[in-house]
Amino acid sequence: MSTTSHKTWPKLTSRDEFRFLAEQALKRSTGDHTLVALHDQHSGTTRFANNQIVQNVDTRRGSLSVTVAFGRRRGTAGTTDFTAGAVQETVTRATQIAHLSPDDPEYLPPVEPQPYLTPPTTRAETAAAGPVRRLEYTNEAIGQCRMENLGAAGIVSSSIATVGVAASTGLFAHEERTDARFSLTAQAGEATGWSAAAHRSIDHLRVQERTLTAIDKAKRGLEVRELPPGCYTVILEPAAVAGLWSSLLWMLDAKSYEKGTSAFSGKLGQLIVDKRLTLRNLPAHEDLLGIGFTADGLPTVASDWIADGVLTQLMYDRFTAKVRGIDKIPTLDAPCLSGRGLSLPTLQELIKATERAILVTNFWYIRTVNPTDLTLTGMTRDGTFLVEKGAIVSAVKNFRFHESPLRVFNRIAAFTNPAEAITSETGKLLVPAMTLRDFNFSSVTRF
Amino acid sequence: MPAHPNPHQDELVELALKRVVASGAEYGDIRLLDSTTQTIRGEDRRIASIREAQDGGFGIRVLYHGAWGFAASSILSLEEAPRVAELAIEIAKGSASLASEKVKLADEPVHRDRVVTARRIDPFAVDLEKKTALLLETMEYVHRQPGIVRSSASLWARQDRKLFVSTEGSRLEFDLLAVNGDFDATAVHDGRFASRSFNTPHLRMGYELIEDANFLAEAPRIASQAVEKVKAPTTEPGLYDLVLDPEHLSLTMHESCGHPSELDRALGYEANYAGTSFLTTEKRGTFRYGSPQVNLVADNCEPTTLAATGYDDDGVACQQWDIVRDGIFVGYCTNREVAPIIGETRSRGSNRADSWGSIPIVRIANIGLEPGTATLDKLLADVKRGIYIEGHGSYSIDQRRYNFQFGGDAFWLIENGKRTYMVRDVIYHGITPEFWGSCDGVADQSHRRRYGFITCGKGQPGQSGWMTHAASHARFRNVNVIGGQAGL
Repeated sequence: MSTTSHKTWPKLTSRDEFRFLAEQALKRSTGDHTLVALHDQHSGTTRFANNQIVQNVDTRRGSLSVTVAFGRRRGTAGTTDFTAGAVQETVTRATQIAHLSPDDPEYLPPVEPQPYLTPPTTRAETAAAGPVRRLEYTNEAIGQCRMENLGAAGIVSSSIATVGVAASTGLFAHEERTDARFSLTAQAGEATGWSAAAHRSIDHLRVQERTLTAIDKAKRGLEVRELPPGCYTVILEPAAVAGLWSSLLWMLDAKSYEKGTSAFSGKLGQLIVDKRLTLRNLPAHEDLLGIGFTADGLPTVASDWIADGVLTQLMYDRFTAKVRGIDKIPTLDAPCLSGRGLSLPTLQELIKATERAILVTNFWYIRTVNPTDLTLTGMTRDGTFLVEKGAIVSAVKNFRFHESPLRVFNRIAAFTNPAEAITSETGKLLVPAMTLRDFNFSSVTRF
Repeated sequence: MPAHPNPHQDELVELALKRVVASGAEYGDIRLLDSTTQTIRGEDRRIASIREAQDGGFGIRVLYHGAWGFAASSILSLEEAPRVAELAIEIAKGSASLASEKVKLADEPVHRDRVVTARRIDPFAVDLEKKTALLLETMEYVHRQPGIVRSSASLWARQDRKLFVSTEGSRLEFDLLAVNGDFDATAVHDGRFASRSFNTPHLRMGYELIEDANFLAEAPRIASQAVEKVKAPTTEPGLYDLVLDPEHLSLTMHESCGHPSELDRALGYEANYAGTSFLTTEKRGTFRYGSPQVNLVADNCEPTTLAATGYDDDGVACQQWDIVRDGIFVGYCTNREVAPIIGETRSRGSNRADSWGSIPIVRIANIGLEPGTATLDKLLADVKRGIYIEGHGSYSIDQRRYNFQFGGDAFWLIENGKRTYMVRDVIYHGITPEFWGSCDGVADQSHRRRYGFITCGKGQPGQSGWMTHAASHARFRNVNVIGGQAGL
């Protein structure tokens, strides 16, 4: 196969081309304010199961949206057709919608031109990757699993996107973003082991290392014992920690906070988790997936969200921020959770230092049970083990948990340095692996 | 801005499929899709956004030496079509290099047809002012109830114009529509908050769905129940008989019966993401899934339901079949690729993609619980201590679909055969075959209601599946109810 997809496809919308498209839309608009947004992406995924490819896809999708406002009335129309006629039609439709809309008391005009950081959002090796590179990684993962008589199921994906925002206020932002992902579930009969990675650079997926991790977990799962539900000390790997923190971060919406419909209402400035924990947003961190600007065209910013266990920040929409007099809206595109004080260097050290615990690779299907106290439920998945006297002694059947991160992250026994974490249900975070006391597993499943 | 067909579509199709045939591929198809989605979203007595988006493009699927390749583009041009076709062929050749077992498609007759959603009122022709006025008035009604602090209301409509052409000679045109509306109310009390919601089912019909739903008549009831819910006493954990309403059951069926009956999951295709299935292939025909009262039927032919599109994205005609009959698991949802693996000669027609840019995968059919003979009053009358549950709440299930935990939108205590007062924090837990094994009564056809899903997540890259689940009320004995608070 000779395809290198980036060359095969028409180029994505460049900065100059977006400027031209935006000017066409802005010129044609009769609105008091107009905002144009671009998302143009070329992405591919090679998906495998039972040691062979079951899907192999490559998609180019460009979309443009135009928001037109008259006073406080606004309308938005979108299109995937970038021809001049379609852009005109999109502006016309947005205009019609705006004319027919009622006043929105929370409407704000587009932001003025902004200065932007230039986080490392794109990597040339990912942009150049195509089906051939994805096939190489797929072959590597399947080959390793086959050698161990295991089944392999997973994905290798890569994408490049150009994203832009422009407005009648003179606002203009455009950047390229790349993304590469690998995830693998190794299967040894009923036993499964999982590992995953996501990075701007396809060179940083560490496919061989991740594959060996998944294989090791699957092989350790061959003999499984059932433990009763109850409260256990747990060692959560970074992916499991990320799952709980993602659910927590979703609930930091400022408007809900003010209306009393958030688990955090009244807790700004208060200790909400162990005082050794700090959560920061780090858009420029090269191992995170930070971006340069938001959909509103606001710059992303490095900011503290939880400092020494104290909640210091909320997620603001522009209107609520204005009411509260907040000039610089903090963003949460690249979260990093870290612990202060004595940490252990690796997960292995955490295991070695533990007398008895359940080691959790990952959580699955995490959902809110009670939004008032942020009680969550979910299942352990693809590698759940009993640790005794500093070593893994057996696999255990998967548990369902019924817990609140606001309780469990106040019961931290030990933690590591932050590590890359991604799951199929969360964005990417840097978080430590952690040992937590009295973690409530409410039931056990059949495998 | 209604969707419109591309004037060069026949030429584009011919250019693409010519390349596929010339490559020596055993099969290929092309889907051109032009979708328009209108979303109107209200929040706290204001219209927060009105958006109408057109999404057009084409996807080409190629089966070469028993392996798939797929490429797609939003650039609908005569230059792009052959390029995308060549790429799909090259990708299929790459897949073939790792194919130890070759894909063989189940036979399907050639179809040439046009499918149009019947509608009385075109939702895109209804005045926007009328729609926004309805949402604003609904939210006003909600906020008249003391104790309400937040509200939302929305209307949604989608039109899909699609052309499917295969190298086998099938040519299918679609003009499909789907509509939905909903609103909710949130109340606070004593440091707690709770929401109650009202949803029309997503259905394939016109704006008449919204007009018939009567939001304004429902709004005061929803608002007052939100307040009653937040003030309600918490539930004591323990074993309860449950009587579940059709909307609630639609989600229970979706998660605990729909997903495990997808054959691609049972065969391991989703092992890395959505998961596999406890309904493994050797169980078909013998495994007791539920009590003899439980009959779960897939029906992709029932008019106005979401999966009733005439044909799926394999070009297979929609069908009706049993998933569970008299409590025994008997059938899967399949496509042309996986049906032959279990010895079936024809696909069940459950292969669907969520856009032109996605490859079709096996999706849950319109699976519904067949009505029984009881009435709701009769189901309640035979309960000493139980809970009546309406609507959707928290839901979570393991990756093989055994261990689940569901909440709901509203709960009433049943005492001595009577539905009494509201309670809160109800979460019930079960193991799928044990739970369905405890079903001892299903209400009759007059209680049957349908609910549609448009956000069923599956596949990598992720896709949203659409299907409708219908049920009458049903009763389940001795179900484990746990508290909805941490540590309980």
